[in-house]
Amino acid sequence: MEIDVNVRVAGGAGQGVHTVSNLLARMAVAAGYHFHVTQDYMSQIRGGRNSQSVRIGSDPVRAGRVEADILLAINPDHLPHVFPAVAPGGFALADIPSAEPPLFAAPLKEMAVRAGSPILANVAGVGAVAHALGIPPETADAVFAADFRGDFFDKNRTALRLGAEWAKDHLSKEVVERFRLPVRSSAPRIILSGNEALALGAIAGGCKFAAGYPMTPGTGILSVLANDGPMVGLVFEQAEDEIAAITMAIGAAYAGARSLVATSGGGFALMVEALSLAGMMEMPVVIALAMRPGPATGMPTRTEQGDLEFVLSAGHGEFPRLVLAPGSPEEAFDLAQHAMDLAEEFQVPALLLTDQYLADTVVDVDPDAFSVRPVRRHIVRGDSVPRTGDGRYLRYATTGNGVSPMAVPGEPGITVVADSDEHTEDGHITEDHATRIRMVEKRLRKGAMLAGRTLPPLFAGPPKGDLLLIGFGSTKDVIEEARQILAREGRYAAAVHLRQVWPFPGEELAGIVPRYKTALTVENNATGQLARLIRRECGVRVDGTISRYDGLPFTPEGVASEARRRVWEKNSIPG
Amino acid sequence: MGEKFDTGVENTWCPGCGNFGILNAVKKALEATGKEKHEIVLVSGIGQAAKLPHYVDVNVFNGLHGRALPAAAAIKMANPSLTVVVTSGDGDIYGEGGNHFLHNIRRNVDIALFVHDNQVYGLTKGQASPTSNVGWPGSLQRAGVISEPFPPLAVAMALGCGFVARGFAGDPDFTADLMLQAIRFPGFAFVDILQPCVTFNKKNTYSWYGKMAYKLPPDHDVTNRGKAFELALEWEERIPLGVLYRKERPTFGEMHPQIPGPPLSDRDTPEETVRGLLRRRLTAAG
Ligand SMILES: Cc1ncc(C[n+]2csc(CCOP(=O)(O)OP(=O)(O)O)c2C)c(N)n1
Ligand SMILES: [Mg+2]
Repeated sequence: MEIDVNVRVAGGAGQGVHTVSNLLARMAVAAGYHFHVTQDYMSQIRGGRNSQSVRIGSDPVRAGRVEADILLAINPDHLPHVFPAVAPGGFALADIPSAEPPLFAAPLKEMAVRAGSPILANVAGVGAVAHALGIPPETADAVFAADFRGDFFDKNRTALRLGAEWAKDHLSKEVVERFRLPVRSSAPRIILSGNEALALGAIAGGCKFAAGYPMTPGTGILSVLANDGPMVGLVFEQAEDEIAAITMAIGAAYAGARSLVATSGGGFALMVEALSLAGMMEMPVVIALAMRPGPATGMPTRTEQGDLEFVLSAGHGEFPRLVLAPGSPEEAFDLAQHAMDLAEEFQVPALLLTDQYLADTVVDVDPDAFSVRPVRRHIVRGDSVPRTGDGRYLRYATTGNGVSPMAVPGEPGITVVADSDEHTEDGHITEDHATRIRMVEKRLRKGAMLAGRTLPPLFAGPPKGDLLLIGFGSTKDVIEEARQILAREGRYAAAVHLRQVWPFPGEELAGIVPRYKTALTVENNATGQLARLIRRECGVRVDGTISRYDGLPFTPEGVASEARRRVWEKNSIPG
Repeated sequence: MGEKFDTGVENTWCPGCGNFGILNAVKKALEATGKEKHEIVLVSGIGQAAKLPHYVDVNVFNGLHGRALPAAAAIKMANPSLTVVVTSGDGDIYGEGGNHFLHNIRRNVDIALFVHDNQVYGLTKGQASPTSNVGWPGSLQRAGVISEPFPPLAVAMALGCGFVARGFAGDPDFTADLMLQAIRFPGFAFVDILQPCVTFNKKNTYSWYGKMAYKLPPDHDVTNRGKAFELALEWEERIPLGVLYRKERPTFGEMHPQIPGPPLSDRDTPEETVRGLLRRRLTAAG
């Protein structure tokens, strides 16, 4: 990438870190650039040490960087912690009495007071950073106009301009020249997070009922459903707990509404009995699970991919399920539609497995990148409801592919009987063992059909060689950038991204893995759950795992250096 | 009355079980609504009581132990034209599903709840339920029940439930009338039904309930919340039957902006609307 500037904004909760990154990101887009925002925040409402990184690039940016080219420390107390991450040649701004380059003392508070509001110190900081990037203050006017009215609009504009003027007088020439973004033409872009994209995808997929109980980092999905959902007649309700949330979704599904719940690992743990209910009752329900580090409450605002094995085996008894793992906001939009559709077609629970990193990552996307497919309903009505000779409808009729035509209550002349006990074809409790066998096999036939619709993994890189990197979900673009970093050094690795982890795309993977001298999974967990899954499902050799479990996401450089160390450096031991 | 919704499904209750009286009452009340079988949904959890929906020829959602109420509330939200009735056990509603009992009273979705209150876990063979009396010898309570009983009507009163009543399995006609009133009541309507368990509860028998229970006099003022609360607490000496309290307030379906309109199953998703939601997140070019 020609231009690649990473701006880190650090401050306490409630100090406007989010405002800064949001403003900068939108200014960058208006100036014709792309961005990627990652959040690093603590589970506190006030105080704490939060930061957001806005990585600005001339190409679409899809992963973060550790080193900051520009650091804006809104809270100077955080300097000792964040200053060491400033890259060589970079600089930092903080509201301190005096400093030596590369640290500059910017009187942010004073400028904010002059602009008319002491809370605008962060906006003055943006003005200074924007000046260093060569983005003129006018660029922000349209952004402010969308957010603020009257007096506050004027104060924001003033604060930003004061910051820019200060930077003109105080930042050294080298600094300003080094980071100046060349003028480019710009196009409108859609700005959204992984959570937003997933929720909008569910809406596009015909979701009409959603319930949830707030749990970071899944809450953002609920916000979109509650706030944007009404436009398509979606009913949202905050449930008294996660058990109620999923049971409500299953009830609504029984009544014919495409339904979704969103949560994190702890909430999903409470939903597990009802997941099994959806399996038994054959109710379509979509569960969005944004993972965070566990066990128990773990690290509420951090990231991890520790629940893979949990979601694959959650729920007592044997029943088919779909588990998708989007790797980017666009993919979250796409797969959420897919999950809504397949859950109904096969009458199974479907999971969308993300994590805090993807949930909170914000990027700019080409509006045309979102494909909105027409919603195709799979419920039967009127004359298409099959009836027995005596006019009854059998909710669990035996069929060749295991999928029984699904009617919903309210259909004249018939009743819909759904049961969590083992049941007969007409939905009534049975303890007949022959019926039990037929019903088990019927449900499993649906699983086999579902497997036939498995989304193949996405592959990039040479068809064979030294190294294959394998990931699922949010690591997609991090691994891709790591692959590109290595390629620039003449180290050619291939990468596989699993966007569906169940039914497992075992055949495809078994064909790919053995073509490489070393195969490593890249997993945001400590024990290499994906590696175990691949070995179990494909019977192929996986040499080890590049793992991270400190609660933070991978960076491309981090993955690349691990790959270098294990594969290309002398006497390296894979694994 | 009551034959309209008969089914041929084999019944597995003990002979003499109080559930039979409740089943008769449910069938009578449903028939009296004038609704057809496709317009009614019976929802239950798990337990002997929770098998009731299988014996009535209407739509059935027989879900998990304790989880009848959230399913029922959502079915009504998804399609308000359905008549949704929950019929389940005391363990199911007050024990395993206690949180849903509390919050669905608050939510005030227009559904009716009938609790078969036999003061015991019948299906699992005689353990104490939340409503078992202190000293009652449950199969897992070696020293008898120690905890104070859960007072369902008083809890419902405290939470502002708009329809609070108590019936008795030994008087199906009387109970059917309460049920019909509950189904017709706009909002969350609750009927606790005293139910003898002939197998596992040798204390709270037909004759015990017969001695303890009395019908509220016709001049009882169902709008007097203070009086109703007092009656809801009566248990030790005698047990009131009938409608204790009745007060309408706007239902969830009337208050929730997205519920009025066609059932959720019939709502479409125009591509242009979805594009519009994406465009809300558009940032302008410079
Ligand atoms: C999660 C869960 N826990 C426990 C059970 C076992 N169980 C089934 S019914 C029941 C209690 C039933 O009591 P009640 O609701 O009063 O119904 P009754 O049989 O007395 O009519 C229990 C504990 C279960 N099915 N599911
Ligand atoms: Mg009971």
